[in-house]
Amino acid sequence: MKRRLLIRGWRFIRKGVALGLALVVVVLMLPSKARSQLGLDPCCAIISAGLSTISNLLNSVVAKPLGAIQQLEQQSANFEQQVVFPVTAINQARGMAGQFQGQFVQMRQIFQVPVASATLVTPQQLEQSLLSRNPGTVPQITNNYAALYGTVMPSTDAPQSVRDLVDMTDAEAQAAMKKAVEIDALADLELQAAEQINQQLQTAAPGSASILDAQTSAWLVRANAYTQSAMAELVRVRSIELANTGAQVKFSAAHTNTLYNSGGLLLQGAH
Amino acid sequence: MKQRALALIHGLRPGFRSGKRWLLLLLLAVVLAPPSARAAGIGDILTLFKTIASTIQGAIGGALSGIQTLNSTINNFRQQIIWPLAQINQARAFVASTRSQYGGLMFQIQAIRNNSATLTNPTQLESVFRNGQSGSIGQFQPLYTNVYGNVPSSNDARPVQRNMVDMDDALAQGSLKTTVLSDQTAEGMLALADSIEQQSATAAPGAAPMLATQAGISELESQAYLAKVLASELRQEAAKLAHQNSLLKQSAASTRNLQNQVQQVLTHP
Repeated sequence: MKRRLLIRGWRFIRKGVALGLALVVVVLMLPSKARSQLGLDPCCAIISAGLSTISNLLNSVVAKPLGAIQQLEQQSANFEQQVVFPVTAINQARGMAGQFQGQFVQMRQIFQVPVASATLVTPQQLEQSLLSRNPGTVPQITNNYAALYGTVMPSTDAPQSVRDLVDMTDAEAQAAMKKAVEIDALADLELQAAEQINQQLQTAAPGSASILDAQTSAWLVRANAYTQSAMAELVRVRSIELANTGAQVKFSAAHTNTLYNSGGLLLQGAH
Repeated sequence: MKQRALALIHGLRPGFRSGKRWLLLLLLAVVLAPPSARAAGIGDILTLFKTIASTIQGAIGGALSGIQTLNSTINNFRQQIIWPLAQINQARAFVASTRSQYGGLMFQIQAIRNNSATLTNPTQLESVFRNGQSGSIGQFQPLYTNVYGNVPSSNDARPVQRNMVDMDDALAQGSLKTTVLSDQTAEGMLALADSIEQQSATAAPGAAPMLATQAGISELESQAYLAKVLASELRQEAAKLAHQNSLLKQSAASTRNLQNQVQQVLTHP
């Protein structure tokens, strides 16, 4: 009986001790919260000081430079918007392109005023081809030219040297006329391109205007090349003209020599 | 079986007792352990704070400071080297000054009238082909005829000669008319150039490329009209050459006719 009582008592004590230990463990497992609530733990002070340091650092090292950067960016944006790329100036430039478009059309129409002036049929036909501004009419120029200025004389009518000279001169005169038609047609295309680029400029941005500028420059190079080829043709015409003048002098000299010899022969025969 | 189990339990009792002692020791160790663990945690926190602080000061702060310096440098470069306001205003003032310096003078030179004819008919013709008005081209034909005459009638000249004269007249008139159109277009081009220059005097650097493009387009137009004038000159020079050549052909034909006639005279005296 006693032993049973002792066993029960021991069991009770053991359970009590176990419960107490469990409570200690639980208390130990929740130490920080319990302590931080009271604000007495030195750990809290350390964390608070650390956070405060971080906050100060964020203010001085991060926020200040960021503010300065923002200010600089704002200043830069204002400078670009007010000094370098003001929208009003850009719109003014676009507006001017619109005004120029009208002027370009007007000028193109001025140059389309007919200038044909021939009154007789044959000259009218040649003139029509010459002023057509259509490269398709170039093959007709040979026939129209021959109808007006004639062809190379037959070999019975002139020495070969004269026939060569006449043929060369005709060739150059015709080539120059054909070149004139081609140059007119090319000039029309240049005008069309200029108007198209100008139309594009009316909606361009300052950044894309450089691209249009480059394209315009390319067209200018092309236009200069065509003008140069026309100048070369003009030089050829004048060179042939000069060569003809020289040839006339040479023919005259040859004729004089022939006449001199014939005269000498005649005089010798008379004696 | 039951007895065996009871015997095993009884056998384990001393072990349990010593196990409880160990458990008690373990619990005491755990209880004693937190202060050292807490000490280690505070150290870690301090280390963490130090790391955060050094990261903010070093990596972040340094980078931000670098960005700030770079931004400041770029901003200064833009405002002092690329687009200095003083230089921009100076350029604008220069454009305005050049305009006032040369514009009037050039306009005066361009406005000088070069008309030099003294008699009535030439004066009238000259005034038409120098007025730069395409609307007056309709008056051109009669005024030209007044000065240079009509194509000879079929009684007065052979068809080939009449054709040539008509062609010469046509190309001469055509070229003169072209000069009228060219003069009018040139005036238009001068007005466009003036507008571009005027606009440049108040332009912003960002709008200047657009004005440059505009000037380029106008130059292209001008080149095209120059080509047209050149084409007219080519036609004229070609006709002049063809005319001279045709005279040579006619001369050869006349010589042949003369030869034939002389032979006829000699064979039939």
